Amino acid sequence: MVGLPYDCLANPLGAVRLTFEKAVASGSEPALLDGKDWGAADLFRQFLFDDGGLSQVPFLKPSSITWVQPNTLVRFRGMIQDMLGNEYYVGAYKDGDTWRTNKFADASRCPMDDSSDMRIWERRLLYCVPVPGQSSWVEPSNEAMKNPYANSIALQREKRQREDHTPMADVDMAEPDHAQEDSPSSKKMREDGAALQQVTLQKSASEGKSSNSDLVGDVERNSFPCLVKIYDAPESDLKLNDVFEFVGIFTFDPDLTLDRDDTDDFCEDALVSLPPSKVPRLHCILHRKLVVNDFLPSPQLELTPCAIKEVREALLGHLASVLGNDRVAAQYLLLHLLSRVHARIDSIAVGKLSLNLTCFNKESMSVFGNHLKLAMENLLPFTQCLPLTVDYLNSVSLIPKKDYSTNRLVSGFLQLAEGSHLTIDETPIQTGTLNSMGCENARVLKNMMESQKVEYDFTYYKVEMDADVQLLVLSEGKSNILPADLVLPFRPSSVSSILGVDGEMLKAWRWYFAAMKTLPHSIEPHMQKVVEDDLVAARQADRSLGSQEFSRWLTMGRLMSVSFGETCLSMEHWQMVKELERLRKERLQGNL
Amino acid sequence: MASDSPPANIHDGPSSPDEWPTSPISNTLSTPGGARRPKRGRRSSYATPPPVQSDSRFGTPDASQTPSSSDPQRRGRARRWSGTPNAAAATPSYTDDAPPSSEAGDGDDDEAPPMYVWGTNISVQDVNAAILRFLRHFRENPQQIEGKYMRAINHVIEMEGDSLDVDAHDVFDYDSDLYTKMVKYPLEVLAIFDIVLMDMVSRINPLFEKHIQARIFHLKSSTSMRNLNPSDVERMVSLKGMIIRCSSIIPEIREAVFRCLVCGYYSDPVVVDRGRINEPTVCGKQECLSRNSMTLVHNRCRFADKQVVRLQETPDEIPDGGTPHTVSLLMHDKLVDVGRPGDRVEVTGIYRAMSVRIGQTQRTVKSIFKTYIDCLHIKKADKSRMHVHDMMETENGASRSSDESTLDDEDQVERLKELSRQPDIYERLTRSLAPNIWELDDVKKGLLCQLFGGNALKLQSGASFRGDINILLVGDPGTSKSQLLQYIHKLSPRGIYTSGRGSSAVGLTAYVAKDPETGETVLESGALVLSDRGICCIDEFDKMSDNARSMLHEVMEQQTVSIAKAGIIASLNARTSVLACANPIGSRYNPRLSVIDNIHLPPTLLSRFDLIYLILDKADEQTDRRLAKHIVALHFEDPDSSQQDVIDLPTLTAYVSYARKHIHPQLSDEAAEELTRGYVELRRRGNFPGSSKKVITATPRQIESLIRLSEALARIRFSELVEKQDVVEAFRLLEVAMQQSATDHATGTIDMDLITTGVSASERMRRENLVSNTRNIIMEKMQIGGPSTRLLELLDELKKQSPASEIHLNDLRNALATLSSEGFVVVHGDSVKRV
Repeated sequence: MVGLPYDCLANPLGAVRLTFEKAVASGSEPALLDGKDWGAADLFRQFLFDDGGLSQVPFLKPSSITWVQPNTLVRFRGMIQDMLGNEYYVGAYKDGDTWRTNKFADASRCPMDDSSDMRIWERRLLYCVPVPGQSSWVEPSNEAMKNPYANSIALQREKRQREDHTPMADVDMAEPDHAQEDSPSSKKMREDGAALQQVTLQKSASEGKSSNSDLVGDVERNSFPCLVKIYDAPESDLKLNDVFEFVGIFTFDPDLTLDRDDTDDFCEDALVSLPPSKVPRLHCILHRKLVVNDFLPSPQLELTPCAIKEVREALLGHLASVLGNDRVAAQYLLLHLLSRVHARIDSIAVGKLSLNLTCFNKESMSVFGNHLKLAMENLLPFTQCLPLTVDYLNSVSLIPKKDYSTNRLVSGFLQLAEGSHLTIDETPIQTGTLNSMGCENARVLKNMMESQKVEYDFTYYKVEMDADVQLLVLSEGKSNILPADLVLPFRPSSVSSILGVDGEMLKAWRWYFAAMKTLPHSIEPHMQKVVEDDLVAARQADRSLGSQEFSRWLTMGRLMSVSFGETCLSMEHWQMVKELERLRKERLQGNL
Repeated sequence: MASDSPPANIHDGPSSPDEWPTSPISNTLSTPGGARRPKRGRRSSYATPPPVQSDSRFGTPDASQTPSSSDPQRRGRARRWSGTPNAAAATPSYTDDAPPSSEAGDGDDDEAPPMYVWGTNISVQDVNAAILRFLRHFRENPQQIEGKYMRAINHVIEMEGDSLDVDAHDVFDYDSDLYTKMVKYPLEVLAIFDIVLMDMVSRINPLFEKHIQARIFHLKSSTSMRNLNPSDVERMVSLKGMIIRCSSIIPEIREAVFRCLVCGYYSDPVVVDRGRINEPTVCGKQECLSRNSMTLVHNRCRFADKQVVRLQETPDEIPDGGTPHTVSLLMHDKLVDVGRPGDRVEVTGIYRAMSVRIGQTQRTVKSIFKTYIDCLHIKKADKSRMHVHDMMETENGASRSSDESTLDDEDQVERLKELSRQPDIYERLTRSLAPNIWELDDVKKGLLCQLFGGNALKLQSGASFRGDINILLVGDPGTSKSQLLQYIHKLSPRGIYTSGRGSSAVGLTAYVAKDPETGETVLESGALVLSDRGICCIDEFDKMSDNARSMLHEVMEQQTVSIAKAGIIASLNARTSVLACANPIGSRYNPRLSVIDNIHLPPTLLSRFDLIYLILDKADEQTDRRLAKHIVALHFEDPDSSQQDVIDLPTLTAYVSYARKHIHPQLSDEAAEELTRGYVELRRRGNFPGSSKKVITATPRQIESLIRLSEALARIRFSELVEKQDVVEAFRLLEVAMQQSATDHATGTIDMDLITTGVSASERMRRENLVSNTRNIIMEKMQIGGPSTRLLELLDELKKQSPASEIHLNDLRNALATLSSEGFVVVHGDSVKRV
């Protein structure tokens, strides 16, 4: 970092400015730089990925918000919950004779004259939230804590904190980040802008209200939203409900918190309800879509068929013990957990495999339900549990709904990230009457089960959004509200005390799920013939079989071979599927 | 004033504004001095009426300080050239047939130096002259004596209106250069437009005091809300969308009057300057001159209506995984309250950006802009998904109606026509319809006909014949009926998808509701009315309540919905095709029973369906194999590779709507002949030689269906003439459908009685035979007034007589009921007595 004239971490805006000036100096017309990158993104890409700077970038999260400095580089992981449209800003302007840019900043550093020449550019606003149902192991640990840079700002922070310690008594000072703040290498903030920020921050703090710490006070741990401003990215890159990591500049501008006393209707805008004191802003420089692998600690296990088999066996054993030694249920659960929608052909979502475990009652639910829930949380990154009651269905809207008075999309329970797992517990449901909202909710759930789509309510019309959610239904009898692909009576034989699971094992399993889920899959022509023959024979024997059953078998066949880490359906696995289905059929008949 | 002399460097090439790619905003920003000019300047130098309405419609919203707001600029600029005599307007030198060239203003150049719109090479005089020429000379067709807009202006004057609607297409047709300038620099050009209008009006009627504004609409290209970008700022744009919110009406102050508290002196009206009223600090009266004594007199101020409306993208413009965009519209005066939330509208206006002030007191502005559209014109669009216009009504009034969907892109029409010329278009369309549902080709063909539809006919006597084709699909579960339905629903120009179980009679037709706000009773349309001119898809038709089903009788033949409740008596159009699907009773189709018995629908309703298809799941290895192949392919193959040579959905939709809109085939003589011949042939089939049995194989309803089908088939080919081949295919389709549904299982012939009465002719014969047999036995065995006989004894007797036929107790009861109604016997429980 020493050789550079700027510091990408502490003073990213400086780097932006420098590249801008360089670009202008090299003859680029500032007016034409709109929607283009003039080298800033490349610079950061190099710094973050090639030079390994990424690990030094602190995560923006409730515990770090208290000490992260404005105008420094941070990263944020979250799901795009709402899109707030585009924002026009003064992208470049002439300050005297030189062009300056406002890109990646909230407000210009120098006051602009009305008459100065300026260019209007646009950026996109995304409202991001932590992924719903995020398991605790997914939470990134703040490695940035250990680097000297963090210490230096921490020191500055501490100074400030001491100054206004009294008015901030409510802030939890026992944060671990402040324990190790004694590095002597105090780096001077070179930026006047940053210094200015510092002053304003202190000012507002001394008024008895440190806006930064307000963030923690008001925002619950699980709803820590962030307003991300995206530059230059094509629209199709970022979709609703996608999980992204944004690396960018954290800004905090106390000026913007001033309340708007003019009640002009133009301000009836989403931003009004999101004051910067509640929602931090992040000017995104780089973003990347996250897959499950990204949440796992970096040294990944080697992919050998033998290792996979071992992991699979152990995992199956674990699932079986969670399910009271029901091996069949454990097999199905494994397939279910590996499923994902891999193609959509017209209205059919190919690859989904929802599972309905029946024969639960209040007692077994309290035992196995909790075990299951815990196991899911330990294995999968995003899990949600929904106990279904008539009251709940009647009172809560499960689907996201657009609120036009605030111009925001109000999130519903079913706004889930791709690949989330949803357990629906149907046992608490009692007889009762569903009102119109309840019917709507039941319909939405059914629709989600059948086609993996959720309708978002925009009052005047509905927009169907694709979803990819694994649905597990626990019920007493076969669920009629939620027609799952697979119905399996649950037969526990023993109640095992919950096994303490080894951390290394858990890591291996998580990695197993992440890696196996994304495997490609195909079928050999001769195998295809075998499968077709089997299907035809089955249908000749039993006319009630239809495309649904066939679809299910093929999905299971695919998942079965995927669970062994193979990319091609083999005879052996196809036989296993048929055997499993036979066992299930027996159980179903025995249950009647 | 620096701004009074145009910059020297823009003297060249007055006709190519493109050379100046700089954004107009920055230009306006750097206009020195102009901004501070008093507002009234614009009109005061004119010999026009006092500025009653002088300030422009682009009242800057009050959070101004706006670098981009050119309201003051506009005024300032207007002032610049308003000082010179409006030479072009005043020169009567050119005659009516002067060509629309830039020479027209030539004579004026000598008198005054050319004026330019600041920062551009648009000459004010040129524009002025061009507008004047356009207004004077534009005619829709050469026969008209007076120009279209001259008439319109006269009309406005007569009506004392305050705006003139100008079709941008007209401007483009007359003078494309003017159009380009208008779209690029709307603020400037519209200001000139308004002045020219004022001038013309005052010359026609010097006493006319109102200010007339030009409202431009119907631009050549309409922008998508998503594609608005900073380069569109200060340009004229046209957008489609849906209104989602309207603010209450805001009275915006335009002129303020102050009164001195000391002496009671009333000030001159003070005009809004950049969203601000400058309160005079000193009394204006010479004798008084007291300081800080002026107070606002509210009821002498002038206010104008203002409303903020939010417009949102319509669902079809939202890309996958996106949320709809919204944009604010600013409405003034007459435009206020034109649209209501939920309306689909097309607006034309000027895209503006306004900087956000940080605080009331601070001078600095944030570097962020709010954008909005200053509305010039708003047009409510049809609520339908696609524009299927009421061509049948407006066919003759061939004026270019204001509705023109994107469909009319000439390229696309050409492509569609190209497509229609292909010899196998019928087959290709069939293949493209629900490509992932295999087999069922004849059903798909029928559905295709339904999509295209026949011609509705209205006789002068008032009788009307529907052109919509109704189809019923009956079949085993799991035969992808619902998927077909869903697919058609997606494809149809407009339509509603309902499920029979979840639909009530009122939900289908119309219901009267109380408006929660006003308490008025309002008529809310149901599914059938909403799918007027579309297709109403009803799934699970059999599970519908009888009450709801009975509503369909009227809809399916008369095509209206009549309502008489809660003080509202109305007849609503419901010219909809019905596509219904039903499961047989007992979930599986029983081939031994008739359609009627299988689906339990009243024959009256059934006969209203043009085509009834039975989709049966036959135990056929061949189909099973195909199913297996299909599903394996679905799971393992790249979905794209399997479907080539299939017309994609948007093209298909466009094809259908174009055909529905533009093609109205007529029967050719040859086709008519074939139709007659075929019908007679069909009827004749019912007459078995040497048998008294008469089977009705076709009814007049069938011939109507046939006409509709053949018209639809001609439409598929984009042909204006129904040809013989269409009729032949229509017969084939009808026969395929009838063979499946109206076949009498006892005889194997088509029997329309099955559909129309629910009882086949052979069944009726059998019943009649039974009755006469029973009568004979009773005549033989029993005496009048004699002891009664038990039913079972009779049954045995009957069976003895005709051992071949199977007779059930129920049949016997029916026969006895007939006899007792004749007064021949009396039936008491199980015993029969002859009387």
